[in-house]
Amino acid sequence: MITEREFLERTHLDRGTLEIWIRESWICPASTAPERAFTEMDLARANMIHDLKHNMGVNDEGLDVILHLIDQMHGLRRALAEALGSLRTGGGGSKA
Amino acid sequence: MKDPYEILGVAKTATPEEIRKAYRQLAKKLHPDLNPGDKRAEERFKEVASANDLLSDPDKRRRFDAGEIDAAGAEKAPPQGRYYREYASGAGHHPYESAEGYADFAEGDDLFADLLRRSREQQREQMRRAPGADLRYELHVPFLDAVNGGVKTITLPQGGTLDVTIPAGVEDGQTMRLKGKGAPAPAEGPPGDALVQIVVEPHRYFVREGDDILVELPITVKEAALGGEVRAPTTTGGVMLKIPRGSNTGDTLRLRGKGVRTRRGAGDELVRLKVVMPKEPDAELDSFLAGWTPKAGYDPRKEM
Repeated sequence: MITEREFLERTHLDRGTLEIWIRESWICPASTAPERAFTEMDLARANMIHDLKHNMGVNDEGLDVILHLIDQMHGLRRALAEALGSLRTGGGGSKA
Repeated sequence: MKDPYEILGVAKTATPEEIRKAYRQLAKKLHPDLNPGDKRAEERFKEVASANDLLSDPDKRRRFDAGEIDAAGAEKAPPQGRYYREYASGAGHHPYESAEGYADFAEGDDLFADLLRRSREQQREQMRRAPGADLRYELHVPFLDAVNGGVKTITLPQGGTLDVTIPAGVEDGQTMRLKGKGAPAPAEGPPGDALVQIVVEPHRYFVREGDDILVELPITVKEAALGGEVRAPTTTGGVMLKIPRGSNTGDTLRLRGKGVRTRRGAGDELVRLKVVMPKEPDAELDSFLAGWTPKAGYDPRKEM
């Protein structure tokens, strides 16, 4: 788990920007602990958002759409991988 | 290393604005997170990123144009850890996942929906059969129990006890796996294992070295000079040990097979003699020695 402080250090984000990203649900840290806890995945996602905004000139409106489509794409990729996986293992119909 | 101008597809005379535009155009196409299924995207994106790194910095660009540095000199692309796609497509569900892109396919009764349902069933079945977690314990074992073996009982923090059979010759730090003595399974799977790490407590006078036992045995001046039988402790009880005449501190006697017995065989006990004077001055010994003149050859310090 990564603390908020470490997260800000490693992403070079300022606190205000992170607050906005969390409010927009672009980053969803776990909030069970007294403090927010981030994962390596959140970190990679923040870097991706940074790339989209600063290296590709995507504005906030566009970013919302892109993230939604990326999340759908990964969901679809997983579903496809699962379907192919069950095809390869014989569909789970016959148990070994 | 290819020419950075060629990689970005700009002329040598391109303005910074043109370079920025060209880079953005390529990044939008090549960014690995926008091409999750393209294994080569990362390679190509890195190439473009390092070309941009070189040409977007006026100083680096000037030095490159002047031939002072080559393209490889700027190959350090901006530090990038793992891309998001590596996490998003990894095993396990995550909070960003969305089913909205395929929910309609998953509900029908066509091949895809059927395969997906089977896969989910398999996952549920796997979770149902998942074993319980392994639990780790530390068990302190007295030296002699570790050498000779025995049974110890652990009182578990969650209540109940666990009997651990200690094999003879168990070593400090060794871990024993007790099948099925770990946490119960969350569903219907088998319980986990208990992993018991052995901590052997030191002994007052025995020391273990491999499969040998070392012990220091104090003897009197008389036993050292004249020899004789003395009782020496071993890990299985005392044995009679013959001290040769004229023994000295540091002389080591070997008791074969009296070391640690394991499946490999048995080690030896090495008894190191130590001559000890009486604690209280002994008038008789003093007067005897005062009247004794050592022979000319007796100088224990002649080598010094």
